[in-house]
Amino acid sequence: MTLAPEQKKTKKPKKLSMKARYEALTRGLDWEPSYVDKDEMFPHLDYEGIKIHDWAAWEDPFRLTIDAYCKYQAEKDKRLYAVLDGFAQGQGHLSLTDASYLNAMKIFLQGVTPLEYAAHRHFAYLARHFAGPGPRFAALCQSIDEIRHMQTEIHTLSNYNKLYSGMHNWPEHFDRVWYLSVPKSFFDDAMSCGPFEFLIAVGFSFEYLLTNLLFVPFMSGSSFNGDLPTMTFGFSAQSDESRHMTLGLEAIKFLLEQDEDNVELVQGWIDKWFWRSYRVTALVAQMLDYMLPRKVMSWKESFELYFEEQMLGGLFEDLAFYGIKPPRHVEDAIQEKELLSHQVYWTLYQFSFAAGFTTTMPSEEHLNWLSESYPDTFDTYFRPLWDKEAKNRENGGRHFAPGLPQLCQVCQVPMLFTEPGDPTTLCQRESEFEGEIYHTCSNGCQWIFEREPEKYRQAWLPVHQILAGNCGGPTVPDVLEWYGLQDGDAGEYLGSRDHQNWVAWQGEAAADTAAPSETKAGA
Amino acid sequence: MTIKSIGEYDFPSRSAQENYGDDQLVSVWFQNTMWFASPAMFRAPREMTWGDFKAQMFVPFAQEDPDYDPDAPRTWTLHGSPFEPEDGQTLSELGVRHKDVIGTRVAA
Repeated sequence: MTLAPEQKKTKKPKKLSMKARYEALTRGLDWEPSYVDKDEMFPHLDYEGIKIHDWAAWEDPFRLTIDAYCKYQAEKDKRLYAVLDGFAQGQGHLSLTDASYLNAMKIFLQGVTPLEYAAHRHFAYLARHFAGPGPRFAALCQSIDEIRHMQTEIHTLSNYNKLYSGMHNWPEHFDRVWYLSVPKSFFDDAMSCGPFEFLIAVGFSFEYLLTNLLFVPFMSGSSFNGDLPTMTFGFSAQSDESRHMTLGLEAIKFLLEQDEDNVELVQGWIDKWFWRSYRVTALVAQMLDYMLPRKVMSWKESFELYFEEQMLGGLFEDLAFYGIKPPRHVEDAIQEKELLSHQVYWTLYQFSFAAGFTTTMPSEEHLNWLSESYPDTFDTYFRPLWDKEAKNRENGGRHFAPGLPQLCQVCQVPMLFTEPGDPTTLCQRESEFEGEIYHTCSNGCQWIFEREPEKYRQAWLPVHQILAGNCGGPTVPDVLEWYGLQDGDAGEYLGSRDHQNWVAWQGEAAADTAAPSETKAGA
Repeated sequence: MTIKSIGEYDFPSRSAQENYGDDQLVSVWFQNTMWFASPAMFRAPREMTWGDFKAQMFVPFAQEDPDYDPDAPRTWTLHGSPFEPEDGQTLSELGVRHKDVIGTRVAA
């Protein structure tokens, strides 16, 4: 008798739910070391003084798995690259409001894109060094996001690089050009901290407190000024940014809940990194008020909405439950909202001969908008400067500073900020450490310096280095060559290569659009 | 040491006096005009006279301001205190140290 093989009733394996897959990914893959001890495996966790009792208490609210993550990101990239192709093929750059708008994007490419890379590197480091699988995986996802942001920003803006100046050498600019030492020093500072301070510096203070002030105005500015690719990149990044913000918030709550002793350390980091992050956003302030041909909102409005209302009025009220106070020196920042963008742009205006972008004097209409947006300060303190510059230009001049500015030892911004409550006196703070004098631009930066003078004394300050002969040579052309700047990258916008091309192309574009209707009229 | 570090943390200043040989860094802060967005920094020999410092560094910079009047009497400050330099004195004789800031305004 032949027996037919018994049919095994096999059940199709049940697919795990998303939550179960996340658990398997983040909890199931952790292990206890057998041939090294935990301190040897995770050597960076104790020296900052943070106490963690239960890493499993970390809850990632997104609970992403790798397959879901890749699927979402691939879809977003597909949409972005479709827009980029369409824009490039359709000569979309001619639909911008004005070529001068791209100065904001040059600053973005030079100053923000390398920060994405720095964030990628250091979140990868955190993904290796946190002892808990939950935060390790969250840091890994953020690391991948950051490098994706860098890549998509490069691709998005490379369309413009073919046609406009100032975008050809941004990695070297980031390492060398004076104003880019502001964002660079921020991340160098953060990356040389311990893992928990970095998490508060970037994950919380930058991503959570201030990222809205960075991304929302930039991307709305793109939308308002006809820059479809950057706007699409912004939307693509936005969902990642909200995840990063949530990571930042989750991180701070986790640290505060783990041990009461963590509160004082975290407060110190919030105090420091709020001010450092805020100083970096000074570049955004001038972009909003001066570099966008079509305005979105003033810096002051933006600061009030995203920082004062949402952060101080909402977040910090929640954090008070843990014993966390609003950041030290925040009152100085609130006072500065009336002045910041004007002081920063006036500085960039006079030093743009050595920048990777161009500047020009605001038009009458623009000046009027500034007066309306800043009724208490603009006409009193800043319009007179532009009136004087208008006369200067009529007399054949154009104000470029003939020397180098004194820089703040901490934020590295030229010492352009004024005393709190006195918009006509520059703020000079002087500290002495081991016999050497160091200057800072504000109460905030002085406090940061005096807290860790050993750190900031080794800062690479562009002006000090130029004057020490370390930047290509003693003359301005030597330094500009060392920066890798080319003709057309820097200086005055009106009459620049970008401006001349824009006028010529707009003429051709106008002729092209006029042609069919003429034919139609002829027919 | 205030820095919390996993190892020894001791790095020299990158702007220390010895990086500038016989020279030093000196900043000039214009206190009665916002035309110059920030104080200007120069590299000057410690033995440079005040007269030379004014002629070779201060004046070429100050002239960029269309309202600059070379004949207007000026007051000077160092570390916030009044400072009355004479043309023949050197910066070191005047007590101007590396990275000091000299304030100036047109005398009232």
